Amino acid sequence: MKTITPYLLWFTLTITVLTVVFRFILSYGIENDSVTVITASAIFYGFLMFGSGWYFGWKESDYLPIYDIGFRFHLTTYIVHNAITLLWLGLGFGSQYEDMKISVLIIIYWGILLLIHFIFFLWSRKNAIKNLDKNDLFE
Amino acid sequence: MLDELLLSWENTYKKGQLTLWIFMALQESRKYVDEIKSFIEEKSNGTISCEEQSLYRSLRKFEHIDVVAYELQEGNKGPDRKYYYMTEMGQELFNRFVNRNIRLFYSNEIINTLKPKK
Repeated sequence: MKTITPYLLWFTLTITVLTVVFRFILSYGIENDSVTVITASAIFYGFLMFGSGWYFGWKESDYLPIYDIGFRFHLTTYIVHNAITLLWLGLGFGSQYEDMKISVLIIIYWGILLLIHFIFFLWSRKNAIKNLDKNDLFE
Repeated sequence: MLDELLLSWENTYKKGQLTLWIFMALQESRKYVDEIKSFIEEKSNGTISCEEQSLYRSLRKFEHIDVVAYELQEGNKGPDRKYYYMTEMGQELFNRFVNRNIRLFYSNEIINTLKPKK
């Protein structure tokens, strides 16, 4: 599939590493009841995830400007983050104070936001030909 | 003043011309990026210049929408070269674009209009 670009794959790899590291530090912080570790890791994780999306998205638009209003990157983030979280907790790597229910709730609420993003994505497709912006096709 | 106005008009006019020049280059024969670049610069008498990066970017887009494709051929030295060509749909697109937008410049009326007047 042409929309799975090399930059999207690099992004997936990067956020996989970031999420595993984040999960490790977060579980450590929760286990040791350290608000500082929890807050700092969440802030760093958020910035780094956003930064990598920004960087690879920018590189990709230079390579092939796929017009999807960021939906593929959002969907990838959703899948990677939540799959790793579920696996992490499911395999027992999480803190004893972590509750799987909260992660499931996050998946549901985030899923609703993703669905809204998907609707906007479908809406934007009328301005695209084969996923490229009609107004940016010919220079 | 006049030179400035001409430059300003030309800058606007040239926007959107790269596609036409790329297609004209490929209409002549299959070419790799360097050859397309040389064709454009030579045939436009140097009025259109383009960076290789812009050409690659355009060609990737055209490839994505199936109007251009390439085949790998051995280069003189180094890696194989991508020789680009118009697909059937690309050829049809080019023909229709030329018929609608370029051929009208060949009518006698327009040719007469374009003759310089004093």
